[in-house]
Amino acid sequence: MSGAYTVPLFLRGEVITDDLVTFGTRSGATRFQAPDMARYVEQLPLPTPMAMADLNDVGFDEILDVLEALGNALTFDTNPHLQEAYEAAVLANPLPPDMLKNSYQILPPLFTRANVLELAETQVGLDYLNGWVPHALADGRELRVRAFGSRVVHIPAGNGGLVSAVTILRSVITRCDAIIKAPSNDPLTAVAIARTLADVAPGHPITKHLAVAYWKGGDAAIEERLYRPEHVEKIVAWGGLASVKHVTRYIQPGLEMIALDPKRSATIIGREAFGDDETMREVARRAAVDIGVANQEGCANARVIYAMTGTDPTGIANANKLGELIYEELVRLPAFISTPPPQPNRELYEHVEASRMTEDFYQVIGGEQREGAVIVSQFDSPVDYSAMLSGRVANIVPVDGIDKVTEAVTAYTQTIGIYPESLKHELRDTLPLFGAQRLTSLGYACSVPIAAPQDAIEPMRRMCKWIVEETCDPDVVIPLWRLGEAAAQV
Amino acid sequence: MTTKQSMVTVEEFMDDPIAYFGESLTQMHSIPRDELEELQRQAMAIRFDQHRQSIELVGKLADRLGVTVLDEFNDVVPLFFSHTAFKSYPAALVDNKRFDLMTKWLGKLTSHDLSKVDTNGCNGIDDWIDRLDEQTPLEVITSSGTTGTLSIIPKDKHGAREGMQLWKICLFQTFGTEPTFEQLNPAVEVIWPNYAKGKLGHLRIANMIKQGFTGNDERKFHALYPDAIDTDLMFLASKMRAAASRGELDRLVIDPALAARKDEFIAMQARQPEDLDNFFTTIAEKLRGKRVFMIGTYGLMYDVAKAGLERGISGVFAKDSAILTGGGNKGAVLPDDYMDVIHEFLGVDRIQEGYGFSEQSAFHWACSEGRYHVQPWVIPFVLDPDTSEPLPRTGRQTGRAAVYDVLLKAHWGGVISGDEVTIDWDLHCPCGQTSVAFEHDIIRYSEKQGVDDDRITCAATHEVHNEAVNFMKAFES
Repeated sequence: MSGAYTVPLFLRGEVITDDLVTFGTRSGATRFQAPDMARYVEQLPLPTPMAMADLNDVGFDEILDVLEALGNALTFDTNPHLQEAYEAAVLANPLPPDMLKNSYQILPPLFTRANVLELAETQVGLDYLNGWVPHALADGRELRVRAFGSRVVHIPAGNGGLVSAVTILRSVITRCDAIIKAPSNDPLTAVAIARTLADVAPGHPITKHLAVAYWKGGDAAIEERLYRPEHVEKIVAWGGLASVKHVTRYIQPGLEMIALDPKRSATIIGREAFGDDETMREVARRAAVDIGVANQEGCANARVIYAMTGTDPTGIANANKLGELIYEELVRLPAFISTPPPQPNRELYEHVEASRMTEDFYQVIGGEQREGAVIVSQFDSPVDYSAMLSGRVANIVPVDGIDKVTEAVTAYTQTIGIYPESLKHELRDTLPLFGAQRLTSLGYACSVPIAAPQDAIEPMRRMCKWIVEETCDPDVVIPLWRLGEAAAQV
Repeated sequence: MTTKQSMVTVEEFMDDPIAYFGESLTQMHSIPRDELEELQRQAMAIRFDQHRQSIELVGKLADRLGVTVLDEFNDVVPLFFSHTAFKSYPAALVDNKRFDLMTKWLGKLTSHDLSKVDTNGCNGIDDWIDRLDEQTPLEVITSSGTTGTLSIIPKDKHGAREGMQLWKICLFQTFGTEPTFEQLNPAVEVIWPNYAKGKLGHLRIANMIKQGFTGNDERKFHALYPDAIDTDLMFLASKMRAAASRGELDRLVIDPALAARKDEFIAMQARQPEDLDNFFTTIAEKLRGKRVFMIGTYGLMYDVAKAGLERGISGVFAKDSAILTGGGNKGAVLPDDYMDVIHEFLGVDRIQEGYGFSEQSAFHWACSEGRYHVQPWVIPFVLDPDTSEPLPRTGRQTGRAAVYDVLLKAHWGGVISGDEVTIDWDLHCPCGQTSVAFEHDIIRYSEKQGVDDDRITCAATHEVHNEAVNFMKAFES
């Protein structure tokens, strides 16, 4: 029972550590305690929709002030809540300590005024957030539209602190009431940010519209009582099929789901990469970053890399050469970006070792110490276990043309890193038809912008309620009753 | 030690243990531990030396690891294959009907020469397996996984015959008494609660059992479903699962040869309730009180027993029938009283349990104490579940099961399983057998971790088959 810790319930400013029950974490070995939510679930949602009024009245300048203060207070070295969250994540998460620490160190800049304004303006529109935006319609009526906050439950993913931070940031900007179900593999980050918020803005409506709790995902005793239209209007569900499936049974009119599904990403490297050694080295360096960031635990990481080398002997030789170079760059990445995975996937390596012995079809570079590996297919198909690739194991697939690539792009494809830019430009109108959601320059797959649509949807606009107020002047917009009079006279 | 005479002894032990132990279960499990281990060590070294020359992949792996001789048991551990070795071919080879390359791939996993196999015009996995059956000493078995590939284990006909003989020895003899003529030549009807034929994993055994237990007498072989299950269809099911998990179901292309047989599969599916009724009618009317041999997983046995009891059939077979079950619960949740239900239906004196995996030559039979005694030609290992380093061969050890099976000639006998087992190395089992034993509770690591099992188990075959047929029904060709 080493490393047992407590995940408090953050209830709208109040920190509760009573009625503890014990839970396991994903890695199995460690356990933590959290308040028994069966006792507290009734207190999670707002008692009445009218309780949104105080949040609705908060001016955007005040939002900027509170978020800026929050960002300043989220300095890892001086924030005990974050340090505690980090200690817990080290036990609960498969990522190595350096990388987890880095995921906290990148939090403060998210909350700066410039960043918050960019996010608000591009992802919703400040005018809509702060007032009624007028439009005149062709039929002559005047329309005014405003984005209201909703009552939202969030089920964030647990790979790193960023997801919890972005969840809170999006909520505050859209003036949503947020109930966050903490993930078991990062149980304390959301609570740590919430507690910091309570420190810098005690009693503030923003603090009072945030709750963070842990319960086991799928626990019907909790979820049946919470996931109801009278309590919440939207559920933002990240993560695996299981977590989304738990939620779908509660979806009904009045309660919608915003699904940020698990995805996989791909990489396409054009012929230009193989022109000279220097270019090839540069391309390998970029590809290695896309593979290696946070040990390939994320959805945006590169896994299968299509190389448009052709499948003739020269093409295969180029693919193998690229594999060697990528492997060299991969193991050279600094520890805060990538390390040999502390918990390599045994099943995956059983497949890698089998591929290593199947030389007619695969060349395996590295992986003997389970430090990561590059498998180069010697023909134009990915390995049959491509869905398992993780812990810095990538598969290079030489192809003759783009058809083999589009075959592999599906509804589950998120990011595609592409080299060179001209190829991306050429493919950008085609790849989305197959399912790709984000096309980016090779080397930037994991440097995901927050002020942009995510998974082909706009989550912040979806989190809002888009309310219409309209004025119709009977002299301009022909009313039905006059049509009725006109008809009677005929 | 290695006098001429003892070499002959070792070779008989490893090449024909049935003769070596005089066809006696008692002798197999009475040999003193030290004596057995010395035999095993020598046999391991000889078999490795043979396979290093005759199986390309074993030679390559040994060369890469710099292993030239095996002295101690643990020396073989780095050379173990995991289940992935038998499915390392690209699935695209099957899609593209490159059975020439499939043969070349398989040729590197077996000691038999496959270079002369003619795969011209081969149109599917079943067809290919037929060719191998006709043209080579192989009698391969397949199993299935969700990564879209089937494992293909190059077993041979010699091994199949030997295996059935070993089953009979273990099924009909009792430890402690030397076999009688009747025990060596038992007359039974065979109950096979599954599809009658097929090349897929356990279904392949149907023919072996029919041959081994009835001398190929169809009248004495009673299958639940009279049809054959199609390996190519199962391959499609396996690919469907993989495609579904990757969100690529819309990209799945069904082989036209298989699609053309759609109606046949649908008709077969529609006949199943009728087949089930016929099966129980046969049991109730023709086999009541007869001595039978019946084999099936716990889940399958339970389902059949429950269906039988619902039809008012109980205590149906002769008390001295041979019943073999095992396979763990393999994810299927059975009620606590499942064994009582099975007993009530069958009405037999004893139900035997076996533990094994397809890569081995035979099951390990459970003793009166519930321990699975390891067959003498199999060297068991308990490995660290993560690193695969061998745990000490002393005291009580729990970890990942692995074996080196010296009896296997057609393929390499060193495999790592997905099962968590416990061996008490110092135990002298009260049942009287001298052999090392796995404790009764065995669980797949994947089940333990709550991960979906990669294998389509015997119990799920029926379900998976229907899944594939349903998909084909929806598929507009």
